[in-house]
Amino acid sequence: MPEILLQYEAEIFQSIGETFVMVGISIVAAVLLGLPVGTFLFLSRKGHMLDNPFIFSALNLLVNIIRSFPFLLLVVFLIPFTRLIIGTAIGTAAATVPLAIIAIAHYSRLVEQSLLDVPKGVIEAAISMGASVKEVVFKFLYVEARSGLVLGLTTSIISFISYSTIMGVVGGGGIGDFAIRYGYQQFKTDLMLYMIIIMVILVQLIQFTGMTVSRKIDKR
Amino acid sequence: MIKLHQVNKSYDQFQAIQSVSLEINKGEIYGIIGASGAGKSTLLRLMNLIEVPDDGEVEVNGEALTKLSSRKLRQARKSIGMIFQHFNLVANRTVYENVAVSLALSGFPRTERRGRVMECLRFVGLESLMGQYPAQLSGGQKQRVAIARALANNPQVLLCDEPTSSLDPNTTAEVLSVLEDVNKSLGVTIVIVSHEMEVIKSICTKVTVMENGKVFETVSTSPQGVQKIDDNPQYFVEQLVRNGAIDHA
Repeated sequence: MPEILLQYEAEIFQSIGETFVMVGISIVAAVLLGLPVGTFLFLSRKGHMLDNPFIFSALNLLVNIIRSFPFLLLVVFLIPFTRLIIGTAIGTAAATVPLAIIAIAHYSRLVEQSLLDVPKGVIEAAISMGASVKEVVFKFLYVEARSGLVLGLTTSIISFISYSTIMGVVGGGGIGDFAIRYGYQQFKTDLMLYMIIIMVILVQLIQFTGMTVSRKIDKR
Repeated sequence: MIKLHQVNKSYDQFQAIQSVSLEINKGEIYGIIGASGAGKSTLLRLMNLIEVPDDGEVEVNGEALTKLSSRKLRQARKSIGMIFQHFNLVANRTVYENVAVSLALSGFPRTERRGRVMECLRFVGLESLMGQYPAQLSGGQKQRVAIARALANNPQVLLCDEPTSSLDPNTTAEVLSVLEDVNKSLGVTIVIVSHEMEVIKSICTKVTVMENGKVFETVSTSPQGVQKIDDNPQYFVEQLVRNGAIDHA
């Protein structure tokens, strides 16, 4: 083990922990809110089960706006909102707010795309069997789109890691922030490289897990 | 069993169905034939209100579907089975699960589901494949699973949208014999949309010819009569009537 890693062991573990908290909350937000938003984007489209131009345009515009912000600006823009719900705009907890918001917008698009890949005939068959909208979604759409939903989440998680690296601007910490402050700003280039290696390993692991799971559950 | 009265359906400017009225009796195997774009699939989809008519009435099993609330309509659909050209099975569910989901939707008692699924799979001769996924099956087998799924809730009517159009001739015969069995031994009224004369010839008792969104002619079939039907409905119907091969319905 290189000496420099041992020297900063505590800080490194702390920053990894902060990254896990930020990314973990982003994942929870993506699944609990991004999935339903993506599902409504799909359902409210023209010609789909809940065809509703108003809901569709509203969701579509909102998701587009959030996604078109350069993320750093979104973080700054959301400071008043963050302060409102967390009580402060500084720290790891505060950092999760903009991360959760971008997570919802990001994953909902991928959910929408996965659902669009489900053959229309399957939905038609479900309706012909007397399924309600809720039943179509849970017993047919999610079942048929599940490997795409997992792959989409994998892609999203990797983006969340990337987004989390700049949360240093609001004191969010994390591996990226540590690499910048200690590796870059204090000219410890080797330390920065080690942090990059940790990130690479993390991303590889997530990608591998996502691909494996999605292949296992894909019977198409 | 099925009554359509003055039904119209249009998409934007295109009139897919133009004031069609027809009546299908209990126990019939009713064919709908016509060139592509004639409106036959749309007509079939009006029978379980997957396509909602612009106006007119649709009545199935004595219920006016067009007047039902959406909850009641879903209920009514459970006694109208449907199968499709591309089978439309859930690819991520096994053969068993594909049939079972239809029972789950209708609230069939949980403890009796297994028995009912196996009964349906036995009927189509596929109980040995219950653990397979659709991707592992041949086209004919997939269509038989779809038939089992459609039969699970004991429907009065089975709507078939080009049920054999993506199958080879041998498999077509196999699926048609299952459908005939469904009609004979279970007493299910069957409506088949097809552009293949073979299908109509081999099992239908009555046939409606569609052209440009209208019912061109409805005739009962006799073996010699139907043989002459080709892509020109006007021509063939005139010919058939002249030759006395068919009776006007």
